[in-house]
This record gives sequence, C-alpha cells and structure tokens, in this order.
Amino acid sequence: MFNIKMDLCHLIRFTIAYNANIKISRNFSSVVLSNSLVGVKYDQKNTVLESVSEDLSEVTPYFPESFNIAAYVNKSETLQNLIKLNVNLSKIEKKPHIVNKLLKMDFEKDMKNNIFFIKDFVDSENIGNYITKNPLILCETIENFQVRINYLQSKKFSNLQIHEIIARNPFWLMFSTERIDKRLGYFQNKFSLNGNEVRLLATKQPKIITYSIQHINTNSFVVKEEMGFNDEEVKALLLNKPKIWMTSQKSLLERFNYLHNVIKIPHSSILHYPNVLLCRNFKVKQRHMFLQTLGRAQYNANKENYIPLKALIENTDSEFCKNYAKCNVDDFNLFLKTL
Amino acid sequence: MVQIKDAALAYKILNGLICVYKPACVSVRQVQHKILTNLCRDLNDLPDRPQEKRVEIVGATNAPMKVKLLPNFADDPLVCGPRYIQKDFRCSWATHLGLFSSGILLLGINDGTKLTYLLNTARLTRAFKVHGQLGKATDTYFWNGRTMERSTYGHVSREKIDRIVANMQAAHQKTMYELSGLHIDSQTTYEMASQGLIRPANNKLPVVYGIKCIHFAPPNFTLEVQSVNEYDKYLWTLIHDLGVQLKSTAHCTGVQCIRHGKFDIPLALLRKHWTLEHILNNMDECRQLLEENENLLKPKSATLSV
Repeated sequence: MFNIKMDLCHLIRFTIAYNANIKISRNFSSVVLSNSLVGVKYDQKNTVLESVSEDLSEVTPYFPESFNIAAYVNKSETLQNLIKLNVNLSKIEKKPHIVNKLLKMDFEKDMKNNIFFIKDFVDSENIGNYITKNPLILCETIENFQVRINYLQSKKFSNLQIHEIIARNPFWLMFSTERIDKRLGYFQNKFSLNGNEVRLLATKQPKIITYSIQHINTNSFVVKEEMGFNDEEVKALLLNKPKIWMTSQKSLLERFNYLHNVIKIPHSSILHYPNVLLCRNFKVKQRHMFLQTLGRAQYNANKENYIPLKALIENTDSEFCKNYAKCNVDDFNLFLKTL
Repeated sequence: MVQIKDAALAYKILNGLICVYKPACVSVRQVQHKILTNLCRDLNDLPDRPQEKRVEIVGATNAPMKVKLLPNFADDPLVCGPRYIQKDFRCSWATHLGLFSSGILLLGINDGTKLTYLLNTARLTRAFKVHGQLGKATDTYFWNGRTMERSTYGHVSREKIDRIVANMQAAHQKTMYELSGLHIDSQTTYEMASQGLIRPANNKLPVVYGIKCIHFAPPNFTLEVQSVNEYDKYLWTLIHDLGVQLKSTAHCTGVQCIRHGKFDIPLALLRKHWTLEHILNNMDECRQLLEENENLLKPKSATLSV
C-alpha cells in the first residue's frame, strides 16, 4: 500500500557512510560551498533574486539519514545493479548492520568478483534469492571461498557434490574450514557415519551441517530417547530425511505421539515412510479420523483394504477422497465441519 | 462469483464480514493471522499496478537543462517490500471463541470491523454442541485437566439426563429476567414476558435459553445449548454440574459452535479454503444474509427473534 514500509527494526537508524560512487558524497562539501556563495551575495544585497551564472548542479539539498534503503536506491548504481540481479533489498534492509556494509561497497570493485564466483555454482535465476538470503557473501574475499572449496575437494567431495552443496546452502561459504571440519566430524562421531555417508548427508541436506548444533543435539535426543528408535534406525532416518533434525522438537514429538500412540503405527512403518513426521499434525489427524468414521483406517499392509501411510499426507483432499476414502470430497468437507 | 482482475480492485472490495470455521486448539488470533497472511500472499500474486516513474532534471544550471523520465527504483517491490502487508488490513472478531472450542467464527475485515461491533452489541444467540463424558471429573472441567474424581455411570439413563437438563434450562429463566434490565414485578416485564423470551440488556452474565441432550451413548453424550453471553469455560461447568446432579461425574470433551445468529455451518469456510477467492465469495454471501435480515445488526425489540 505505502511506498515506504517501516518496520520496528528500522527505528535503529542506518548510520550511512556516504557512498563513494554516488552524488550524496558531495553533499557536505557542496552545502558549505553554497553557504559561502550566499554569504558573498548577501553583502552585495539583493541576494536571491539576482541570477547566478555559475554551474550550480553540484549543489544538492542536504541528505539526511534514512530509515530505509529506498531513499538511496535511485542514486546508487550499486543498489540498482543488485535489483537487476533480483536481490530483494527490502528483506536485507531488516538487518541494518548488513545494509551499512552494503552501502559502503562498490559494485564494480567489491561485488563483481564475488558474484561471478557464485555464478559458477548457482544458476542465474536463483542468484538474487541466494544473495538475499546471505548478503554478507558479497563482503567475503575470493581467496577464502577458494580455500573452502579446496577443503571440500580435499575431503573427496566430487565436483557435482560441491556444486550442489554451495547452491543449496547460501551460508556454507561463510564458514571457515575449521568450523566446517568440526561440524562434519561432529556428525561423523555422533551418528557413527563413514566417509561416504557424511558426504551423502552433506550433499542431501547441506543446511544441516551449518545448522545450530544444539538443535541437532535436542532433536537427536527426541528421536532416540523419546521416540525410541535404536542407533541404526536413527542413522537410517538421518540419511533418509535429514530435515527431521531441523524441525522443532515439540511438533515432532506431537506428530510422533499421534502416529504411534493414537493410530498405533509401528516404528518400522514410520521408518519406511519418514515423510509422515514432516507433515503438520492436523492434516494427518483429520484424514485418519475421517477414515476411522468410514471404517477404513487399516494401515497394516498384510491385511486387506490397506491404506498406505502416504495417503495421510500426500496430494489434495479431493484426490485422497477419490483414491483411498472412496467418496466425494464434499463428504470429507462436511465431516471436517463436525470436528 | 467474484471476478478478480488486479490487486487494487480486490483490496477495494475486501470490506465486510466473513464466516470461518475455527478448528479446535487454534486460537482466534492465529486464525486472524493466518487469514491476513493468506490475503496478503494472494493479493501480492495478483497483477500489480505499473511501477511509478520519476522526473529528473539534469545538466549544468547555466545551460539549458534536460528533463528525463526514469523508472523509480524506490517503487520496486524488491526495494520497498511487498505491496500488501498485514498492517494494511483491519480485522476483528464478533464474539470470542475459546482456544479449545471449534466452530463458527465471524470476522470483520476492513470496514467489516464496524459490522462485528454491531453484531457483538446485538448479542445474537449462539448454538453449541457440547460434548461430555461421564465417569471422570477434572480440575479444569475439560479433558486436558487433572483427574480429580472417578465414578460409575451405569445408573445414568437417557430419561434422567433429559429430566435434569430440563431442570437446568428452567433455572436459567430467572437470569433472563434479571438481565432484561426491568423490575421483575412491573407491568412492562409482564407484557414482554408474555411475548416470549427476552434478550439480555448487557453482557455481564451468560443466559441459557435452551439445553437439550441430542446424543447419549454412555459414557459419551452431547448437549445442544442455545445461549447468549456464554464463554467456553461456562459451558464446561455446565457439563460438570450436570455430572454432579446425575449423582456421577462428568467432564467436557469438546465445544463446537454450530450457529451464530443466522450464520450456520454450511456457510463457514474451512481452513483449507482460507484464500482470497473463497473469502471474497464468502463475504458476498454474508452480505446477502445481512441484507435479508436487518434485525441481525440492529434488533428493534427486546424479544428474542433469532
């Protein structure tokens, strides 16, 4: 609605260092200059009305500090180039300390090489999104990137895997080799993985390596102790669906509770189709209750009228009704209004 | 059906009342938040207005200057953020529905907030399905509380429940007269009472107009309650009291609002249908309903009509 949206966090003002490649930088000097000009004219009287023959295009009004980046964007080549790359500046702007760094940089001098480097890994449509997620990648040096890529190569990651990792996790290149090494080691020890499995995990879900270790620890506890999977099952689960370790432990346990204690689905079935742990509980719940009222809630593959677990979470409601509940979707909707 | 061409037009017609189906264990505020985020998402996906242009005058001041028309980067959604955000909408509910209750919830969007205020002050009756279970009493009177007492319920029959429920309904008649704001011995009260049930003058006390047992399969049973000014905890206590009067114990297992004035279940939007298109259609239906029944918003007499 409004051109300029102000968020609370904008109250922290950007203290903008004047950018070298834009006109604003001249403001200070020109303000002083214009004052002195006016001062001279004042002595001769008839100040403002008299026409001036000099070129005054250098004189610009004083440019105060701004709450958001939109104020600078029309004057700054750098920011305009970023927009052309599809970088969402309105999202970056929510973190004022990053904007401070970004405004001091020059596109040609500081950013170009980094962007070219990233371009080798990310396809051109996603590059804006990539930078939006991690704008600080423009502040890092190419040498660091090269060292980190070399590290991956030394750990026998194939080129394809490296591309996958860098493209899918914008933050990977920000981590020093020591940190990455420690984290890979952590996963190897914690889940007793061999080299190939570590590489598989890092390629399958690169974000889990740079994820908060504490969160991984709590979720490991939830999966192992509270849900009661044994070590081998935990390992299989991790390699199959690493995302389970990145969801909140509360909802994870809630989903498992419902599946295991209410629907009575054994561990082996959940292990066979771990996607059910990643679907919001209300969806599983309403489909299961509907099947139960129809008398079709039969999840044992060895008996007749078997309903696979994926029916509970996949596809739209109309497809679910057609394929598994064998009824019209209107009946399902009517049922939902009795819950 | 409403045809949506562009976002500005859609935003302009987003004024009115919608009727949604609130799931249990989702708070009213979450429902409101979800609907507003969905609206913003859908509006931002629609075709946008063209980007603004910017006039720039460049060149030396002592020579003829050039006037240029340039695209205004500050107006780009990438710079100034999405066109529609949650703060652009006003949203309020007509009557609150507790966290564990499900059912009909009336939400006003933008100018519809005025309607929700009127609906709230009109004090429409709401019908509830209150599910209870015999044999256990909890400290909160609801299923999520700690068990305080257990008892047998073999002696409870349909007839007993019906009798006690009728008793409870009659006992509530007294509050109805108290809340009418009139002196109980006056002629006016007599004349009003002879016309039928009376609406309460304020929202201080819950008034129950009718209770009926509609389903009984021990230990589970369901009551249908018509009332004004009630809240979820009050309905829970109703079940608890019923349990005590049946010489057994009971706790509430669910509260579902099935009617609010003339707004009923078929009108309500399910969670999966909280999208711009469905909301606009629903708004249209609600508007028609309000136009047909003017006394929903501004009731003229004190007797209960809906």
